[in-house]
Amino acid sequence: MNSTAVDSKKAHRRRAFSAADRTTLTAFVGIPLFFHLLLVWVPAFLTIVLSFTYWSGISISRIKFAGFANYKNIFFDTPAFWEAIQNNVVWLLWFAGIATPLGILLAYQIDRQIRGHKFYETAYYLPVVLSLAVTGIIWNFLLRPDGFVNGLMGRDIDNAFSFFGNYDINLYVILTIASWRHIGYIMLLYLAGLKSVDMALREAASLDGATEWQTFKKVVFPAMKPVNIIVIVITIIESLRAFDIVYIIYGTSAGFPILGTLIFQNIAGEGASMKGAAYAVILFVLSIGPIIAYLRTTFKSDVQ
Amino acid sequence: MSDVTHGISRRSVLKGAAVGGLGLAAGGSLLAGCGSKGSGPLAYGARSVDAGPTAQNEALIAAYTAKTKNEVKYNATESNAFQNNLSQYLQGTPDDTFEWMAGYRMQFFAEQGLLADLTDVWGTIGDQYAESYKIASTGLDGKQYFVPKSWYPWGMHFRKSMFKDLGLSADTVTNWDEFLKMLDGMKKKGLVGFAAGDKGGWEAMGTFDIINARVNGYQFHVDLMAGREKWTDAKVLDVFKHWEMLVPYMNPNVLDLEWDGAMQLLLQKKAGAMLMGSWFGGNFKEQSQADYDDLSIIPFPEINPEHARDTVDAPIDGWCVAANGTNNAGGADFLAFAGDMEGVQATLDAKDKDGKSIPMTSANKGQDRSTYDAFQKEQMAVMDEAKYITQFLDRDTRPDFAGPVVGPAIQSWFKNPKDVNKIVDSLQAQWDALPPLA
Repeated sequence: MNSTAVDSKKAHRRRAFSAADRTTLTAFVGIPLFFHLLLVWVPAFLTIVLSFTYWSGISISRIKFAGFANYKNIFFDTPAFWEAIQNNVVWLLWFAGIATPLGILLAYQIDRQIRGHKFYETAYYLPVVLSLAVTGIIWNFLLRPDGFVNGLMGRDIDNAFSFFGNYDINLYVILTIASWRHIGYIMLLYLAGLKSVDMALREAASLDGATEWQTFKKVVFPAMKPVNIIVIVITIIESLRAFDIVYIIYGTSAGFPILGTLIFQNIAGEGASMKGAAYAVILFVLSIGPIIAYLRTTFKSDVQ
Repeated sequence: MSDVTHGISRRSVLKGAAVGGLGLAAGGSLLAGCGSKGSGPLAYGARSVDAGPTAQNEALIAAYTAKTKNEVKYNATESNAFQNNLSQYLQGTPDDTFEWMAGYRMQFFAEQGLLADLTDVWGTIGDQYAESYKIASTGLDGKQYFVPKSWYPWGMHFRKSMFKDLGLSADTVTNWDEFLKMLDGMKKKGLVGFAAGDKGGWEAMGTFDIINARVNGYQFHVDLMAGREKWTDAKVLDVFKHWEMLVPYMNPNVLDLEWDGAMQLLLQKKAGAMLMGSWFGGNFKEQSQADYDDLSIIPFPEINPEHARDTVDAPIDGWCVAANGTNNAGGADFLAFAGDMEGVQATLDAKDKDGKSIPMTSANKGQDRSTYDAFQKEQMAVMDEAKYITQFLDRDTRPDFAGPVVGPAIQSWFKNPKDVNKIVDSLQAQWDALPPLA
């Protein structure tokens, strides 16, 4: 403040905006910012605060400071937490290693206009139109003990094939269902990106004698950097915030623990406790950590 | 507003319907204090969207409105969703009276000041109920916060026709050895012996309750629920040991089925027996009268002669008045009617859409037991044999322990019964980590 250089610089900058500019800016930046802070960051901050308390969610006067007790409870006494972490990690690996690459492959094939590409495009995109909750309902109808698939196999509920209750396979059943939608999502994003890649680049590559794979790896893929970033971030976020499908199929019971359902189970209902808030903070840190790190390195290399 | 409505007749208030309702919000406690002549329109929150309970509620409400001219707005929510939202519901703008359960689940909310005191209602209808129901309706402060509607026992259900085919009768399965022999016989016939589902996370709690009560007795069970005994106790391991003996006779997809899936096994004659609360008799009746007539219940067999069959899980369902409702006095007035034999009779007279009566065992002494059907008489016999009545695991212990901790623990036990030591260790650790009750 006592530096005149800074003052004059600021004054100079301020003069560049007319009164009307300032009003417009305040309206266009201020109002969304206000709601963003109010509806996203204030609750997020309060959740962090609440995660260090004991509270049943009823009458704020009963709140008690708990220190790290909720976290200690989660990390050391709650086996479901580690199961959930394991499920979320497998989910992430599956999405990153299988579902997302498949979506990219599909997008690439459709972009090359292989035979029947219109059909594939529609077929794979269809599930994306449905919300995850609806996806869960559909697959639950199909795969539950008295569902369509067991009916088709001629099995009654006493000898039904167990898709959701067999813990050797149910993770993969759920992941297949989730991928059914995720693949189409990624495909569409990538397809939009591919359409915007300049055809001249590819022609140049093929004139230089590059193979299909080389063209993709060395020319198309690097040209798609902005889309790639979005795809990676979406893959991470979708894997960590997974909730809908599991909730529809398993309800609030921890029949299939993932972080999303653990949060809900501990924060909703009669048994509400701030352990749920602590789960939410853990998920928050897990989601935001890798994303910030990734975006930072990406933008840093951009600047260089 | 409250001064205006206070002291004038019920009917004149109704004329100013909406205004009267608002006025009573402020005057509620005042009115409750002077003999609970509640009036004005009120809202009723139902904890079920099923056909049977809905028909019962509608009959009760129609009878109340016919008598008092007070209009009742009916709001129904599916039971799981209702339960999940209850805290928020009670702190927001709840219906004046809502369906809930007796025991710890009621006391928990009463203690937080979210339920209205119904001591006056009990003053009017109290002599129509046995003492045990009054105790179950009483909060930790000694006041009543609940009006009971109905009860049902948990026991072994089977189909009379199947029992006959297997050459069995109720007297031949009174103890554990006979019980296992029965299950073995069923298995040899290619049946599921002990139909079970635990996908919902609560169903199998009933099995834990009853085996614990049979092996270790009522007092140990109650003390365990209250945290005075430890989950790591050898006695708890003994419960799981007995439970494990039943696993070979269960359907293999326990974690795939919810309670209604297990019920289907019995309904379709694929299973010989099922431990469940008798409330599902209504579902059998909806299926057909013949299926309902075929249904039968006996107490869970004796395991430890010291405790014989002296305990039964018999949850009581009923109503509370939400303290934050707009018309507490109206809610209390409604419950005074609903709990009175007049209201009970209206509920009992309810018919489903096919014109069939809906089976209910009322908590009110006034229900003529000679009108009980055969299945209800058997339920009564199960109750009469028991000296001690428990509510159900998730009604007898802390809500932040039952749902989020015990439910998943039992599910992981089903995944791998060999993990039992780890599971009880974690149960105790999680109990110890619970925040102190305010």
